[in-house]
Amino acid sequence: MISIGKTSRMALCVATFSMLAGCAQTGSPLIGNGNVSYGDSKGVELVSNEFGSTDLQRLAENMTRSLVQVPSIRGKRLTLADVQNKTSEYIDTAEITKSIRVQLMKAGTVRFVADVSHMEGQTQELMRQNQSGLYDKSKSKKIGKMVGADFRLTGGISSIVKKNSDIKDVYYKLSLELVDNETGELVWADEQEIRKTSRR
Amino acid sequence: MKMRKILSGLALVALSCAAQADGLESKLEELGKMDHVKVEAARVVKRNELINIQVELANDSTRPQVVFYRFKWLDASGFMVGGEETWKQVLIYGKARQTIQTVAPVPQAVDFRLQLQSPENTVNPSN
Repeated sequence: MISIGKTSRMALCVATFSMLAGCAQTGSPLIGNGNVSYGDSKGVELVSNEFGSTDLQRLAENMTRSLVQVPSIRGKRLTLADVQNKTSEYIDTAEITKSIRVQLMKAGTVRFVADVSHMEGQTQELMRQNQSGLYDKSKSKKIGKMVGADFRLTGGISSIVKKNSDIKDVYYKLSLELVDNETGELVWADEQEIRKTSRR
Repeated sequence: MKMRKILSGLALVALSCAAQADGLESKLEELGKMDHVKVEAARVVKRNELINIQVELANDSTRPQVVFYRFKWLDASGFMVGGEETWKQVLIYGKARQTIQTVAPVPQAVDFRLQLQSPENTVNPSN
């Protein structure tokens, strides 16, 4: 009788433990109290009507899709030139052209060579390999072999801001053009517009 | 290379035929059933080795409707190519039609899916 009671108690303990284990949730590999979360980086961001991530992504995407359709630039070399910010707010215009460069390179239609911003790094690397005396001459990259770009991508972004007591309206226009470095000819130009309106 | 181009061309012809035959239903991924906005027509054509798509959306309500959309691009094996697109927002005025146009980001894209979401939509809770 006693042994049956012990067996019953043990069985109850095992059953209770199993139930608890069964009900328990698996832990997420999360560090923090859950107040911070990752969002969709491709989602439409409308936190305010200043220039935002969606504007940058949309402008870069639309410009790339326009550029990729130009047959005369297939297989050619491009550089990124200045895109002037003529708006009243801070916009890192280089990020727009960098996104265009990434998307064009993924498409595999054009090649990019060192532009003005990369020139210092490129020159230093060549000098280091050729003039520091640290490198095997037969295996170092030679000076005077850099290739010039066929085209340069340049342009500007401007904005018009209008506001009254109720509404603030911002209109952005990005204009980009592709210039033939040898002839100075404009081989492609496009513009993209964005309108953002907010109520106070 | 020649065979690849022929296969790619055949895939596009099949895509265009399929798009016309089933009213592009198989190409649409609606996030919930849009109550007021309908995909009326779509055209697919290949230019300069890239798929060009034109989709016409129609708003059958009298109020303006907002639609969020983006395209997913697939290669001949059904793999996503060209990276993830950003969502776009389009405003369609009451009883108006809006055309959205796009071009495939890479020549490898031979098929697509159009993801659509309208804030005014119906979602069956059992699904």
